[in-house]
Amino acid sequence: MSGFIRKRLIDDNAALVQLLGLCPLLAVSNSVVNALGLAIATVFTLVLTNALVSAIKPIISKEIRISLFVLIIASVVTALEMFMNAYFHELYLILGIFIPLIVTNCIIMARAESFASKNTIWLAIKDGFFTGLGFALVLVVIGAIREILGNGSLFNQAQLLFGDFGKVLHWQIFEDYHGFLIAILPPGAFFVLAILIAIKNKVSK
Amino acid sequence: MSPFIKIPLVLALVTFFTSGLLVFSEKATHDKIAQQKKMLLLESLKELIPDELHDNDLTQDSLLINHPEQLGHRKEQALYVGKLNGKTNVIAVPVTARNGYSGDIDLMVGIKNNGEITAVKILEQHETPGLGDLIQANKSDWLKKFPSLSLNKVGIKNWKVKRDGGQFDQITGATITPRAVVEAIKHALEFQHEFLTTTHKEDTIK
Repeated sequence: MSGFIRKRLIDDNAALVQLLGLCPLLAVSNSVVNALGLAIATVFTLVLTNALVSAIKPIISKEIRISLFVLIIASVVTALEMFMNAYFHELYLILGIFIPLIVTNCIIMARAESFASKNTIWLAIKDGFFTGLGFALVLVVIGAIREILGNGSLFNQAQLLFGDFGKVLHWQIFEDYHGFLIAILPPGAFFVLAILIAIKNKVSK
Repeated sequence: MSPFIKIPLVLALVTFFTSGLLVFSEKATHDKIAQQKKMLLLESLKELIPDELHDNDLTQDSLLINHPEQLGHRKEQALYVGKLNGKTNVIAVPVTARNGYSGDIDLMVGIKNNGEITAVKILEQHETPGLGDLIQANKSDWLKKFPSLSLNKVGIKNWKVKRDGGQFDQITGATITPRAVVEAIKHALEFQHEFLTTTHKEDTIK
């Protein structure tokens, strides 16, 4: 793995190391499918906004750069929201407010400001993709742990993302599982994230 | 170029392109979104007007109503009439609660001729995740209390959340959303009563 990729996936992971974008990370990670839905949307947004910000780099003046980033990020997310509404309607209903809230995910602003506005389009796209992937991995891992602990299942409701194929993916790991509610509720998200950060710190040392 | 010209020019240019992106997305998704909403509605109608209570084609027997004051409508909404042997048996009343915590809540209430609720469906809401959005059927059982209740059984004075002295539980941490929904359901029930007694008295099954 090249240093560029490794840095974005592991060493400087947006969620585990920079602790950016915690609101959606904690709120939507109560099942793998929810997590995956938001993860894909976030990666898309990051790639598109990074590319656009990099494309208008020659005309950005530093006085108005933040306004321009906000303008681009908000429009891209709104467009993405419309497409999800049209093609993944049920998932859109479940993720609800968290899709428009991608606008406020500070990872996106951070990458626009610190990387995309200073680099070529191709590098910006790569940066967006791998930073997003790093965030997405953590989101999905937390989603998986919380769903297993809370529901005893994996890929519940996967048909929302994958159509009929998703029903095959559904895997009830423990039969007759009575559920461990706290894993699904918000505190569970904090516990699981804390444990992941602790593991990351231990391993990196 | 002087910054006083450049800055507004750049802003205008970028705004122009991002608006273009939005216009394009809207055009590309508009029909598909409408179609998705319609499918979801037909799915909901199966619960609001169960198959055994009607023998007509519901998409044919709908009428557009618009009652901004009573039912909170912002535009014309379809009311569906379930008929058995040609006579009105169940109606599904669209109602919008404007006093939710975060924007409008769109509901459909299925009501039998005797005023009993068959089901309540939330069509659209933007309430706080984890609190207000627990009104949704896939997130909690809160909506399941309503079927088979009627204004006569509960009494119009008790048709409120407990905080307001009525009989319906609010949701811990969220009172405004359940209050709005309970009130909207009440308006739908009152509307159904008027609907039967005025315009459609002759052709209803008693």
